[in-house]
Amino acid sequence: MATINATVSVNSNDLTSNTLALSKTMTMTKAGTNTGLEFTSGLVRRTFTSTNHVDLITAGAQNYGTPTASDSGSASKVYIKNTGSDSTQYFEVGLGTSSGSGSATADSIGGTHLALGRLYGGDWMLIPYHGKATVGDITVQPSTAEKMTVEYIIFFE
Amino acid sequence: MATTTASLALTSTDLFADSLSISTSHQLNKAGTTIGLDQTTGLNKVYLTATTNVDMFTVPGAIKNGKKSHVYLAKVSTDETEYIVVSVGDKVIGRLYAQDFLWMPWNQQAQHISDLEIAPSVATGMNVEYMIIHEGIVLTTATDS
Repeated sequence: MATINATVSVNSNDLTSNTLALSKTMTMTKAGTNTGLEFTSGLVRRTFTSTNHVDLITAGAQNYGTPTASDSGSASKVYIKNTGSDSTQYFEVGLGTSSGSGSATADSIGGTHLALGRLYGGDWMLIPYHGKATVGDITVQPSTAEKMTVEYIIFFE
Repeated sequence: MATTTASLALTSTDLFADSLSISTSHQLNKAGTTIGLDQTTGLNKVYLTATTNVDMFTVPGAIKNGKKSHVYLAKVSTDETEYIVVSVGDKVIGRLYAQDFLWMPWNQQAQHISDLEIAPSVATGMNVEYMIIHEGIVLTTATDS
């Protein structure tokens, strides 16, 4: 086992009349235990030069741990960052099947894809990751065909 | 506008032969601008006593599609066997176990498809904290009957 710590801090002096100083640390453990996660994809860096909607991380088939029958059966985590600095360019990050084209699959209840949100230059996210085949794929769609770079790392069981 | 900063430190000295030390920080701005986000739900804390899948935030329409929001969500109860399942609409993002948190962008893309939902694994009581920093959310119309 390993000890992997993640600390988020959110601070503002003027968002509300009360100072915001949120800090939270988690130690990443395997599902239902106090045993630390022990595998990682390593820090991956990818550059994109088209607006095609593609898989950033393809789940299933032992890629990142043993896939489970459930789509919520692990305690894996994924960190993703848009390393750019342009405030107008973004990656739309989603879950499910990528279209492979310039148009993302239409999102719908019962559909195969869902857009979560947009990472503009410098934005990052850290979310749990279940890794079930197809529905656990993490997709990205750059907002521009200009060179854009994303980094990600997966910690998994 | 406001100035709000979100930072992350990822560290490990024994995950692999090399030390892991990732540190990042960014200012929370409105979509496509350098103007700071200026609205928030504040930090909410709830105690959930049912395994029902519930909306943390409902998206009643696509009025805010493309607007910027960041979500913080943490399971602050300490039992390592208990968890919450986090979903957006009917798509499961994953589980948060004891003391786990997430930080993610959120696009209120479409009615109910983009609802933020959580479901506790047990009905014996569980503390959850959450906050959204955003540039607008739509409140549902009041119904008195």
